[in-house]
Amino acid sequence: MRERLSFYVKRESFLHHLNPLTKLTLAFGLVFAAFLSPWYWTPSFFVLFAIIPLSFIGKVQREYFGAALRLILPAAGFLFLMQSFFQPIGVKVIFKFWFLDITQESLMFAFTNASRIFVMVSSFTLFLLTTHPSELMSDLTRRGLPSQFAYVIISTIQIIPQMQAKAQTIIAAQRSRGLDTQGSFFNRIGALVPLVGPLVFGSLVEVEERAIAIEARGFTSTSIKTSLREIPDTRFDKMFRWFLILLVIAVIAARIWLS
Amino acid sequence: MKFFEDIKKDFNTMIWVLIPVAIAINIVMGQIVVILKLPIYLDSIGTVLVAVIGGPWAGALTGALSNTIWGLLIDPNALPWWPVAFFIGLVAGFCAKGGLFKTWWKVLIAGFLIALTAAIVSTPIAVYIYGGITASGSSFITAYLLQTGQGVFQSVFSTNFLVEPVDKISTSLLAFAIIQGLSSRFLARFPRPENVEIEQGAERTQLFIAVGIVILLVLIAAFVLVKILG
Repeated sequence: MRERLSFYVKRESFLHHLNPLTKLTLAFGLVFAAFLSPWYWTPSFFVLFAIIPLSFIGKVQREYFGAALRLILPAAGFLFLMQSFFQPIGVKVIFKFWFLDITQESLMFAFTNASRIFVMVSSFTLFLLTTHPSELMSDLTRRGLPSQFAYVIISTIQIIPQMQAKAQTIIAAQRSRGLDTQGSFFNRIGALVPLVGPLVFGSLVEVEERAIAIEARGFTSTSIKTSLREIPDTRFDKMFRWFLILLVIAVIAARIWLS
Repeated sequence: MKFFEDIKKDFNTMIWVLIPVAIAINIVMGQIVVILKLPIYLDSIGTVLVAVIGGPWAGALTGALSNTIWGLLIDPNALPWWPVAFFIGLVAGFCAKGGLFKTWWKVLIAGFLIALTAAIVSTPIAVYIYGGITASGSSFITAYLLQTGQGVFQSVFSTNFLVEPVDKISTSLLAFAIIQGLSSRFLARFPRPENVEIEQGAERTQLFIAVGIVILLVLIAAFVLVKILG
């Protein structure tokens, strides 16, 4: 089991050295532009001319294509099939199967939707591959995010793998005592209680100790804390963020103009 | 601002430490349910737990962060649903404030209210982001309703309304059972321990009134559903 739950791949690249907020703006900018654009080809355009080149610039193309083929493409493909079959819109029937019609309109609709989801998932995957979570959090804290939020996010990332390991242990232990986790429906419902109980109570017991520990280290103190790591924020970062914001505004304007 | 001061009072160190644990409980529970192949999600137990002992805003924060982290680290499809989790936490918190987490039959009402909220909030998200049909299994019901000529909003809402109550009522009951298992010394360190003090002498008549309310709610819901579909 991995110690930390994170996609982050440590490499030396232009994308890795960008400010975390810039990369976050980039991810959100692409998602908003893809969803708000009035043209059906915008999401595919982003995939071809923004996301794939960025994965090469960030030197994470192998990891990105792995994730895209394994996770993103199947999900988007399933969505495409479901929607092209079941959307009852349009009149130009291209293909008929049993009681289901595929029309030109429903095909178009499904394609736009699936490619939007593809852009959304891809841009966040790319963001996570090139940004270390604690780097993002210390940068956002420096910009005024309450440090409690940073604590919640970082500590969740650390707790999840621990708790998954604990859940595996509990499942194995209860099975060795004869708990039926694969039998009939009612058996499986019955198995819920002996699994949930130890897991939840076990994790809640640690809460009090941890609260005392972090309080002793000045968690609630309101004075300004210094950071060990300096995260650069260049002029290029600032200009690039403005460019992305303008891009989203332009897309919204185009949508209003054309409707 | 009195409103913000009140919210601030709900966030003591214990709650800040509980929130990550609750998010992890949400995510790991969601995965245990998949291992057991049960047809429910149970992925908001942690959210309801925090909402009950920490107040509505702590619950809302837990829900929203839970989906964000789930979306960013495990399954990006969870990301657009964060408002649903936000409102689940908020409504659970207000239900607890109103004393709905003190006896098990009141928890049923709370679960129903949470389910109604979840159904209402998730409808526009499913419609605007996924065009009505998402990648989840219950979308086959939506697809069927769409084929019978219903509008997108009606189809998605009816599907949600069929799926959510079972899940959210079981979630609330499980959260209630967990809270009952915790010691009152432990609970007293959280901002809202008074939410879960067991009511003494919950009388039979009250029980009958509650069952009546549940039946009434179901009837109203069925009536509304028929109205929408008819």
